[in-house]
Amino acid sequence: MLALSAVVNGILYGGVLALLVLGLNLMFGVVQIIHFFYGQLLMVGLYLIYVFTIWCHIPLILSCLLTVGVLLLINTLVHVLVVKRLLTADLINQFLALASVMLILENLCQAIFGTDIKGIPINLPVMNIGELYFTTSNLIAFVGSLVFAALFYIFLNKTYIGLAIRAVAQDKEVAGFMGINIYNIYIVTMALGGGLVGIVAAFFTPIYSVYPHFGGSFTLISFIIVVLGGMGNLLGGFIAAFIIGVITILVSTFSNTEIGLIVSYLIFLFVILIRPQGILGAKVSR
Amino acid sequence: MKGSMNYSTGIFLLFLLLAIVFPFLSPSPYLIHILIYIFIWSSITTAWAYMGRFGLVSLCHGAFIGIPAYAAGLLFNYYHLNPWIGMLIGLLGVAILAWVFGYACFRFGVIGHYFAITTLVITELVVVVIMAFREVTGGRLGFTLERISARPLYEQLLCLQFESKVYFYYLAILLLLFTLYVWKKIDQSKAQKALKAIGDDEVAASCMGIPIVKYKTGITIVSAVVAGIGGVLYAQYTMYVNPISMIGVGPSLEIIFNAILGGMFTLLGPMIGTVLITLLQEFVRIYFGVTYMGWSIVGYAVVIILIIIFLPEGFYGTLRERFHNAKREKVSIRIPDQ
Repeated sequence: MLALSAVVNGILYGGVLALLVLGLNLMFGVVQIIHFFYGQLLMVGLYLIYVFTIWCHIPLILSCLLTVGVLLLINTLVHVLVVKRLLTADLINQFLALASVMLILENLCQAIFGTDIKGIPINLPVMNIGELYFTTSNLIAFVGSLVFAALFYIFLNKTYIGLAIRAVAQDKEVAGFMGINIYNIYIVTMALGGGLVGIVAAFFTPIYSVYPHFGGSFTLISFIIVVLGGMGNLLGGFIAAFIIGVITILVSTFSNTEIGLIVSYLIFLFVILIRPQGILGAKVSR
Repeated sequence: MKGSMNYSTGIFLLFLLLAIVFPFLSPSPYLIHILIYIFIWSSITTAWAYMGRFGLVSLCHGAFIGIPAYAAGLLFNYYHLNPWIGMLIGLLGVAILAWVFGYACFRFGVIGHYFAITTLVITELVVVVIMAFREVTGGRLGFTLERISARPLYEQLLCLQFESKVYFYYLAILLLLFTLYVWKKIDQSKAQKALKAIGDDEVAASCMGIPIVKYKTGITIVSAVVAGIGGVLYAQYTMYVNPISMIGVGPSLEIIFNAILGGMFTLLGPMIGTVLITLLQEFVRIYFGVTYMGWSIVGYAVVIILIIIFLPEGFYGTLRERFHNAKREKVSIRIPDQ
């Protein structure tokens, strides 16, 4: 029974993770940078929702929408100010610039909000089916993740911009020949990525409380999932999120959280050596 | 060219002499402390740049400095094992880790973004392992080294714990010189040319018959071990080890920041970067205090971004480049005359 409950909770957690990595995967695939402040952007989103609802007394739904907009702007701004200038730079320079953005976001939040844990008191009940217990907030996030993944899939396959994004992800040069303005697509992608982080923040609000070093672990777990699924492969990332979710929760239930993390890191190392293109990634020369 | 080499060597020797006589001139413990810090982290940064300058962006130097520090400290605390032997064991462990991980990565062609992320995961793996065995390692809180009471100097040296900072100061200088010497040795060897070729174009290099995996693994091991010595010395100096401040992503990133700021392609670049960043941090800490801690790091990160965008070769690297270009222009002007 414990195992079954762990698996169910793992699947729900996997859904949360799947939503989390959607934006990162997109940015990896299209702009091909290591978006090192991904988790920190999420943290900023959670702080923003906190500020809007608790300090400005805006209704929760509205403040979530506002947050999506603000994160979209922040990510676009970072792209225009930093990433755009470093697209052809050395890998390490791109990487360090984005790590600096991470430092900026983390320390700004620390300077403004202090190191205390902040959260909005939303108490959603724990649900149960028979002896299976799971939290409603995780269930909502799970459903939300499925819905947004579906919407996102439709967007990428049915609209002009979506198809252009996919074209750029597949082959920049040829996409350029086909009359797609790559640099505009980069901006659209980064804006979309920021917006997706905002949506994740909205779903995370009932689950997590936020503190300045909240982002780091999420950045890492997102990287792991994205690489596992194959960089830029959305379906692969989706599947990898569920694998990591179930394994982490399963191991954590029978042992402790650290062992769960160790196992997921080891799986990552194993996969990157044996199958570096990820579970569903296409074989490409790197 | 020969003349300028001797000139810069002369300046370097002058600075070295100054550093050696410094404790006699100014016995201020604060300045000595800052200098020890600078020397140890300069050598760690230089060790990082051994591989960094060939395009191998390692984010696991936190782990490489942390593991020997933990090994030496824990073996001393639990079994009263001599820290020198503990250091050797730790360095052996790091060498094996670097070898296994380096070989696996390079054998299977993990490069670029993938390599950076893999090293990041290795670092976090080490941190989480330390947290998981918190009964032994002290978990997130770290542990304090057992202090030995006053003893004769040779026993202090044997236990790597000194009554006076001055001895650490000289050890740190020795370590830094050793690190720079290793850099020189790598530069003079065939490995430097091979690694440069690999860094420029891996496929072409392998077509020329360069054993890529061997050279890359080799440089990873050298870099890890030399950085590890610095880690042990730092832990013995501060007498305290903590997984967040010693191993995690933070210190790994800080090492890279130092190297980038100074310029990692030149011998003295990483050192100059460390000096600049340490002085900046100390300045901010003294004049703005702890209240503006967050803001000061924000400012520092903005400066880093500006430097990366506008001076991609780093401070010292860019200056040197300008200097050399100016010289080359002079030469090229002279040639048409002849």
